[in-house]
Amino acid sequence: MSAPPPRVTHGPGEPYVGTSVPRVEDQRLLDGRGRFLADLAAGALSVVFLRSTEAHAVIESIDTTRATDMPGVVGVYTGNDLPLARDYIGSLHTPDPGFVAATGFRMPEQRLAILPVDRVHYVGQPVVALVASDRYLGEDALEAVDITYRPLPAVLDPSASLAPDAAPIHPHLPDNEAGRIEVEFGDDVAADAVAVTVEGTYRIGRHGAVPLEGRGVLARVDGQRVSVWTSTQIPHLVRQGICEATGWSVDAVRVVVPDVGGGFGTKANVYAEEVVVPVLARLTGHDLVWVEDRQEHLVGSAQGRDQVHRTRLSVDREGRVLRWEDDFLLDIGAGGLWVAGVVANTAIHLLGPYRIPRVRLRGRAAFTNKTITAQYRGAGRPEACFALERSLDDAAGRLGITPVEIRRRNLLTAADLPYAQPLPYRDGVPIVYDGGDYLRCLDSVLELLPAETVERLAAEHPDLTIGHGVGCYIEATGRGSFESGRVRLTSTGGFEVASGAASAGQAHETVFAQVAADGLGCSLELVTVRRSDTDLVRHGVGTFASRSAVLAGSAIRRAAEQLLDQATGRAAQLLGVSPDLVKSTASGFAAADGSSEWEISWADLATACAPGGAQEQLGPLDVVEYFHPETVTWTMGAHAAVVGVHRGTGAVSVLSYAVAHEGGVEINPQVVEGQVIGGVAQGIGGALLEQFRYSPTGQPTSTTLAEYLLPGTCDVPDVQVRHLGVATPCNPLGVRGAGESGTIAVSATVAGAVEDALHGLVRVSETPIRTGPLRAAAEQIRREGQ
Amino acid sequence: MTVEDAFSPLAQRVPLATTVNGRPVTLAVPARLTLADLLRDELHLTGTHLGCEHGVCGACTVLVDGRSVRSCLLFAVQVEGRSVVTVEGLQDHPTTGRIKCAMARHHGLQCGFCTPGMLVTATELIDRHPPEKPLDEACVRETMSGNICRCTGYQGIVRAVLEAAADPATGTTHEG
Repeated sequence: MSAPPPRVTHGPGEPYVGTSVPRVEDQRLLDGRGRFLADLAAGALSVVFLRSTEAHAVIESIDTTRATDMPGVVGVYTGNDLPLARDYIGSLHTPDPGFVAATGFRMPEQRLAILPVDRVHYVGQPVVALVASDRYLGEDALEAVDITYRPLPAVLDPSASLAPDAAPIHPHLPDNEAGRIEVEFGDDVAADAVAVTVEGTYRIGRHGAVPLEGRGVLARVDGQRVSVWTSTQIPHLVRQGICEATGWSVDAVRVVVPDVGGGFGTKANVYAEEVVVPVLARLTGHDLVWVEDRQEHLVGSAQGRDQVHRTRLSVDREGRVLRWEDDFLLDIGAGGLWVAGVVANTAIHLLGPYRIPRVRLRGRAAFTNKTITAQYRGAGRPEACFALERSLDDAAGRLGITPVEIRRRNLLTAADLPYAQPLPYRDGVPIVYDGGDYLRCLDSVLELLPAETVERLAAEHPDLTIGHGVGCYIEATGRGSFESGRVRLTSTGGFEVASGAASAGQAHETVFAQVAADGLGCSLELVTVRRSDTDLVRHGVGTFASRSAVLAGSAIRRAAEQLLDQATGRAAQLLGVSPDLVKSTASGFAAADGSSEWEISWADLATACAPGGAQEQLGPLDVVEYFHPETVTWTMGAHAAVVGVHRGTGAVSVLSYAVAHEGGVEINPQVVEGQVIGGVAQGIGGALLEQFRYSPTGQPTSTTLAEYLLPGTCDVPDVQVRHLGVATPCNPLGVRGAGESGTIAVSATVAGAVEDALHGLVRVSETPIRTGPLRAAAEQIRREGQ
Repeated sequence: MTVEDAFSPLAQRVPLATTVNGRPVTLAVPARLTLADLLRDELHLTGTHLGCEHGVCGACTVLVDGRSVRSCLLFAVQVEGRSVVTVEGLQDHPTTGRIKCAMARHHGLQCGFCTPGMLVTATELIDRHPPEKPLDEACVRETMSGNICRCTGYQGIVRAVLEAAADPATGTTHEG
């Protein structure tokens, strides 16, 4: 195992940003004193959900009589029993009109019922909610709910779903198209310039976030208000979803985020359960909790990926890309509140980190009778990357140059950057890659993991045939529209920081404290970051799309700086000196005029602001700031993998992995590295192991963790990471997002390495990579004694 | 609950006497209550987490008579007369203390949900490892393979366990 990189430690008087200060979160989590959703359940009655057993069916009847009479049951509720203003949850993202105009983007309004009463659209869809004294009795009683379904044909193939004669799955819509996009630019390419054209069909399997903690919702009613604790990444959007569905005022709903055991996008969604539990709490007057179990999670929580790309790539004799065409199809299942995001992300990231003069992309999203989808880590980027990178490898092979060489000839360099694309981003702002030198990432990753590593590892693993692969990606990070940051001086002279960007393991309590302490010029120990709570910041968006460091970090920095500015004025007033004589110190302020010196601590200032203090009339020092980025900032990286294919079984082992990425300023380098390495692990899962499978009738067959395989300790190698920071002027911290970078290029990189290991005898065009064809190729190599 | 409910066979309780984190526990539990639910719901020891409730993820790992078990797969009544130790009960255990420090140093946790199970498994690995066998990276990876982490990619966890396994006096590993 390689030695860990030296830790960037914090020295006296230095800024905290850029140093790997220890995580504030660790102590309580290590001691088993984290407070996750299920840990808050004491005293609440249990809500359990009866979920559809049919992929597509008409509900003919629901009879809850027997269940209502079961022991411990408080009540049984169908959609008809819920007092809702609107029985569905609205879209979470609508692209800017400029983007829509440039790309022909279209999507219909989705109205998947919160608890359907007439029709079900996927196995796992919640249909009946039952309140019981405990979960055991509740689940017993669910078995006594009588539902009669009249099955309808289940549509599982997105192409069939979009066929002109296909019956619409959602009766309010004319067809099954969930979204469409079209991007075209550049001049036609002269036929004689083209040396090689490769065509391919690439499938990215249906897999998803599967955080170790499932979802869960706790609701407590207090007078006219409902407080909702939910394991989410987006508390303010959950509040919005609850209010839109119920008609309640935002002032009547508080959403609080406890410790969250991983999110990765599936918890950046608003779910029926998040509406139903607070509604039933109000209806019954009881505190209620629902804790998702793993089986529910694997059928009921939003999934991801599931795309097919039909591609055509033309290059000249030197391997320079001339033309890139892709017709892609997304299967969003029965619904996806982020369909606009995933469709647009896929199209935009198909442009890659390369010079591509002529582009023609068409994408369509289809409704099917599979589980709903959301934005799983990468959200269109890994799929786009797989299609483009696989096509580049194919073209390189035809030209007789290496995968490294074809990328070297096409990657944007310092001479090209910043690089404008003739297309607006989703926010309507023209795309400009604000990077430094993308080719440098490729060179760098090859230093970390050169192709020659194959020889050494081949000697160590005689049972494996070994190969090397590379992949590059681009990622738009830190998108708007805004995020909130609040910094306030507490009554004891400390600081409390809050933001709409909820943490699900990304160390916000640590990194936002670093940002605030630098802005305040104070010691880190004075700063406490609170978990997200809509009562602490009234407006917010959430954590997803590699945006929290960029947006929440920037909002917190500005709030801290403003607070310092206000406090400096107040300190000067208290000291009776001119503000320009006042300097901030780690513990407060000091002033000197040559003959005298004064000091005032933050605690003194807090006392002065409090009732009875000298500055009571000025009110508390409490600043809320909203940061609106002008547009996204771009991260780029290169991955390299060495894999071994077992000669007997075809099983793939990732033996060594490296990432070189061009991020921005790192607030906490160890946290960033952790995000990248964890992202690679999830990428390996998607490349080799994970898939939500369905039977021909739409029954999910990956309903335990013994069937949906998450990567374990023996599946993920040591990952080397090199950070090539290029500060961006797009935000006051100079940071770029890093949460998704690790995941994006993994499938493409591993696929390239597998092909190399098998001497090009197989083409890998889908994930998870099937071992059958690999075994046959490995056998052929063994027979031929290669 | 109605009077009738209280006589339901589902509500029938079985007496249980066991030891949890060194303290005797005597109570009556439904026969079908899992050990994990006993710990979490009845004894409020919420450090033991439930990640799958079907014995795959390892988040609910606790020690019963010193050996790691999945508390989601045991009924509470199965620990009659036994000694159960949860992550809370390892608070002052020196091996666990070393692992915790190393986990923080090596960024071996992000969301922290798998962490209690990891700590229990790693504590057993180090405390009960036969001295003649090397406690190297392969051994750590194999032994910890029943504990899933979705955040970290395991690198920091493996480094932390190896570091904690090093002899605290000499700083050398069992390998040496």
